[in-house]
Amino acid sequence: MVVYSFHIFDRHTECIYSKHWLPRPVSSAPSKQGRPQSNSTLGTYDGEDAISTQPSGLTAQDDAKLLFGTVFSLRNMVRKLGGMDDNFVSYSTGQYKLHYYETPTNLKFVMLTDTKTNNLRMVLHQIYVNLYVEFVVKNPLSPVEHPKGEGVANELFEMGVESFISAAF
Amino acid sequence: MNAPQASAVPAAPAALQQPAQRASVGGLRYPTNRKTIYDRNLNRSRTSELSKASFAYLFGEMVSYAQRRVTGIQDLERRLNVQGHPLGLRLLDLLLYREPTRSVQRPTRILPLLQFITTTLWKHLFSRSADALERSKDNEDEYMISDNDPLVNQYISVPKEMNQLNCAAYVAGIIEGICDGTGFAARVTAHSVPTELWPAKTVFLIKFEPEVMEREAFLEKAR
Amino acid sequence: MAGRNLPLEAPLRPRYVGAADVAEWKVMVVFALIVINKAGGLIYHREFHEGLNKLSVNDYLVLAGTFHGVHAITKNLCPLPRTPGQPPTGIEVLESESFRLQCFQTLTGTKFLLFTEPHQPNIDGIIRKVYELYSDYVMKNPFYQIEMPIRCDAFDRHLASYIKPRQ
Repeated sequence: MVVYSFHIFDRHTECIYSKHWLPRPVSSAPSKQGRPQSNSTLGTYDGEDAISTQPSGLTAQDDAKLLFGTVFSLRNMVRKLGGMDDNFVSYSTGQYKLHYYETPTNLKFVMLTDTKTNNLRMVLHQIYVNLYVEFVVKNPLSPVEHPKGEGVANELFEMGVESFISAAF
Repeated sequence: MNAPQASAVPAAPAALQQPAQRASVGGLRYPTNRKTIYDRNLNRSRTSELSKASFAYLFGEMVSYAQRRVTGIQDLERRLNVQGHPLGLRLLDLLLYREPTRSVQRPTRILPLLQFITTTLWKHLFSRSADALERSKDNEDEYMISDNDPLVNQYISVPKEMNQLNCAAYVAGIIEGICDGTGFAARVTAHSVPTELWPAKTVFLIKFEPEVMEREAFLEKAR
Repeated sequence: MAGRNLPLEAPLRPRYVGAADVAEWKVMVVFALIVINKAGGLIYHREFHEGLNKLSVNDYLVLAGTFHGVHAITKNLCPLPRTPGQPPTGIEVLESESFRLQCFQTLTGTKFLLFTEPHQPNIDGIIRKVYELYSDYVMKNPFYQIEMPIRCDAFDRHLASYIKPRQ
């Protein structure tokens, strides 16, 4: 089981946290804003992008927006077909699998993994309960809303996610 | 020294090469053993089965072709009928040729003709006999051959606005060709008679011309 | 996150194949089938079993268009570096709590969407059979216009007799 990336979207469609465990193959410029883009394992990030042969001029933000659009459309489609109490769980393509978990407060947790990974709803739920609530919600210094993509810049949460993922996989 | 020879020589190779050139240009394909279907024994029928899918595509194109510039469904059925007619004429010769030499005989009465159609012709075309052969109760000169699932219609769904159409008109044309070739002038049409069990059931209605019935009555008396 | 065990995977238990399992495999609950053409237009939709919400034709058209778009985007979201000669595929399987959506895209770009129960076995087999029926009764029909809505009785009939009696 391999985790490729992890994203959190707030109820205003803003990407408030994203972390990549792989260099992004389809970007041409790294994030300009002060979003907590974790670069711990991305030592060759810029260099790789400079020689990237991908024609796409997408930035990390564009990727996040595409990702949000995708899960949002699919979630609505699932609700339409399966009823309001149905939930979109995951989809997979030939290359990767996307796991989705939505909290009652409309926070969306999205994780991209390899295709052999089983359902990760519980893992995403644990991240929400044990990490997000503990280190972000309960942190008085953390912003409640994230206008202009301020994001979750929180060391404890960051470290928690890192150790949780490496422990779980 | 070589120059005059070079100009004289090419005549012969060109003549030799001609068949090969024709093979690549002409319509007939020459297999590697250079034996075309015309070189095969006419009696060989065991290995002559064809791919159903390729027939389906071919027949589909034939229907599409017939559909161009038609004035209506009747016209379309007539065109399909006309496409089948020459095939019936040729098949008559081939099938009679293939009958055992001792018993070979051109059908001269209506019943043997119809039996020839429902068994020999049907088996040759569709590898099975027709499902029923009846005589019309209302009209003396009308006979009906029914096929529960005609091969030609297997993949065809006729749109609702054309529900009068039955593409087995092509097979009706073949039957008409056989009847014509044997000297039984007739008009053959195909009609859909869907049932619960056989949604594609088709009845071929054969209506013989008055002179055929006249001759039939005369032959009956002469017996 | 102290002290909580994660139920990542169910504990491994030996699984014996019995008659009940075999019977279970034969159960085929297909909720609906959708066919989308190259351009993202809905050309066929049919419901087989109850289980999904009833949608209007318009909703189905929107759904087909949405899925077509999302399918294209999911190709681009691939986080892995592209391997030459093996283009990324779009969504193949989508799972929700109440149904599973399998998408099969033919080499010519037509998409077949099959909605089934979440744990329906052998969906690949079913979808291939549907493709086979489509190639036979739609593509070989001289009255079918390519890329247009499918109205073929024979296709309807054979689809129903393949999917329905296996309830």
